[in-house]
Amino acid sequence: MSLCNRNLKMSAVVVVHGGAWAIPDDLAKASVDGVKAAACEGHSVLKRGGSALDAVEAAVRALEDNTVFNAGHGGTLNTEGEVELDAIIMDGRTLGNGAVSSAKNIAHPVTLARAVMEKTSHCMLTSRGANQFAESIGMATVPTETMVTEYERKEWEKHKNYVTGVMEDFNAQWAHDTVGAVAVDCSGNVACATSTGGIRNKMVGRVGDSPIIGSGGYADNLSGAVSCTGHGESILKVTLARLIISHIEQGKSVADSSQLSLQYMGNRVHGAGGAIVVSPSGQWAATFTTERMAWAAVDHDVLWFGLDPNQRSKEQLSN
Amino acid sequence: MLPVVVVHGGAGHIPKERAQNSTSGVSAAARAGYIVLKGGGSSMDAVVEAVTQLENNPSFNAGCGSVLNVKGEVEMDAFVMDGKTLATGAVSAVRDIANPTQLARLVMDKTSHACLTAEGAKQFARSMGIPEVPMESLITEYSRMRWRKNIAPDANPVECQMGKMGTVGAVAVDSEGVVACATSTGGMLNKMEGRVGDTPCIGCGGYADNNSGAVSTTGHGEAIMKVVLARLILFYMEQGQSAEAASDSALAYMKSRVDGLGGVVTVDPRGNWAARFSSRQMAWAAAQKDTLHYGLYTGEHFTQSIDEPH
Repeated sequence: MSLCNRNLKMSAVVVVHGGAWAIPDDLAKASVDGVKAAACEGHSVLKRGGSALDAVEAAVRALEDNTVFNAGHGGTLNTEGEVELDAIIMDGRTLGNGAVSSAKNIAHPVTLARAVMEKTSHCMLTSRGANQFAESIGMATVPTETMVTEYERKEWEKHKNYVTGVMEDFNAQWAHDTVGAVAVDCSGNVACATSTGGIRNKMVGRVGDSPIIGSGGYADNLSGAVSCTGHGESILKVTLARLIISHIEQGKSVADSSQLSLQYMGNRVHGAGGAIVVSPSGQWAATFTTERMAWAAVDHDVLWFGLDPNQRSKEQLSN
Repeated sequence: MLPVVVVHGGAGHIPKERAQNSTSGVSAAARAGYIVLKGGGSSMDAVVEAVTQLENNPSFNAGCGSVLNVKGEVEMDAFVMDGKTLATGAVSAVRDIANPTQLARLVMDKTSHACLTAEGAKQFARSMGIPEVPMESLITEYSRMRWRKNIAPDANPVECQMGKMGTVGAVAVDSEGVVACATSTGGMLNKMEGRVGDTPCIGCGGYADNNSGAVSTTGHGEAIMKVVLARLILFYMEQGQSAEAASDSALAYMKSRVDGLGGVVTVDPRGNWAARFSSRQMAWAAAQKDTLHYGLYTGEHFTQSIDEPH
């Protein structure tokens, strides 16, 4: 245990994001508060010797519970007014991963994704199959009314008349508040998790980047863990998470790897987004090409957080 | 060197009695793709044509002939990608249509999304006027027999199914130097309902980029996903490895890191291609410079004139 504590001081880190997009001022404080709280949740897990996998799950669960974010509770509605949820979790030690797409009315899709990884021989379940599996392990479904916020219902009504499931050009004004977390624990294991309700008024059954390994997230003890957010279709086209990892594998820093990859995404497919990354040695970065990204990290008992480009605020956490 | 199309019909252990059908099936599909290319068609047109033929051929685990999920039903996944624009389309767990690859292409061409799943994919098919077909029409005696065998309590579906029936796919480079890939599957024998494997996951079941090449994969889906196999091969090619070396390196990595076997067809924008596999067999065929190349067992590489009957 004492060996673990010593290592904890060296490298256990958790980073979370609450979405990369033009977060409006009236959501700014709640978004930053939300990611700070989630980062602290993840940090508590790491501090008591928990695994990176446990930490990212705990952090993302906190974000899924928070209706200001588009994941779990507070998820956006598809064109038929239903909530369809996607999530992924990955263990950098074994490359084990679990994902769900289009799961309906589940409070914690990240936990369901973890169950896919740990309780089945598969990596991904979709739709009705995902929900049947949830039922088989005793995971309750939540009524739609409880999952959907008044704000979201109003936005859906507004956009339903304007455009249905189509985004003509990538518009950073559209909400992309997917949530995610990455962590490295005191054993040097890395993990990632990403969770989302997708884009507002998406077509029924639309699957974005979040649950797709290599796009919404990737974790490998040999290089690091990544969670992405932003324009899903663009992230998919460049397999953003795996692209960032490939730069790290070639010796670049986590910050440069993220920057280069996001720039490439902007140049090649005109998409903007953000990524959080952690390396097995505890280097971390939170990078975005959208107007804002709510993010927070705990590293050596310091809570870092930001919203606007180049913002890095900090608070000392009490031991 | 251009144009070229390379096709696979699944990696694994193909029983002797099915070997002939597999070989003739991939050869016919390669020929069909090549005719499209020679006629000035795009690499996307060619891979979709080749894979459509394999979907219609009941000898392969795609479209008609798909393996059954644990409930005895057919759920299919498919993927296409254009190397010029990185545009992509995919469907997962789609039911009751004959050609999931064509539907995946429609997702790419007609929506602003990259992937549709399950009921949503079916609704979209309906909206595109794609006919619904009875599930029975996709089920063969062979697939039902394999399903029944694997329902037995002592059966080991992962082991048993490893490649007896495999995913199908194709890569191509057209005369303009544009690369494309397509992959299609009924998935894993006796899979859980809603199980999605590597096929419709970009970077896993396939990837295409004019800067490096195109790949279509087959094999143990969960292992392919863990190493993002298609994208891994292209990373190696970006670093200077040939299509063949990159494919072998990535398959070796997948075996050592996650104990998974599989196969790939890979092409670079200049028309260099490879059909490589770490499983016992993979039915494959390629058409280039009016020559048909094909093989099944490790080390095999037969050639004949494309015009000769197979």
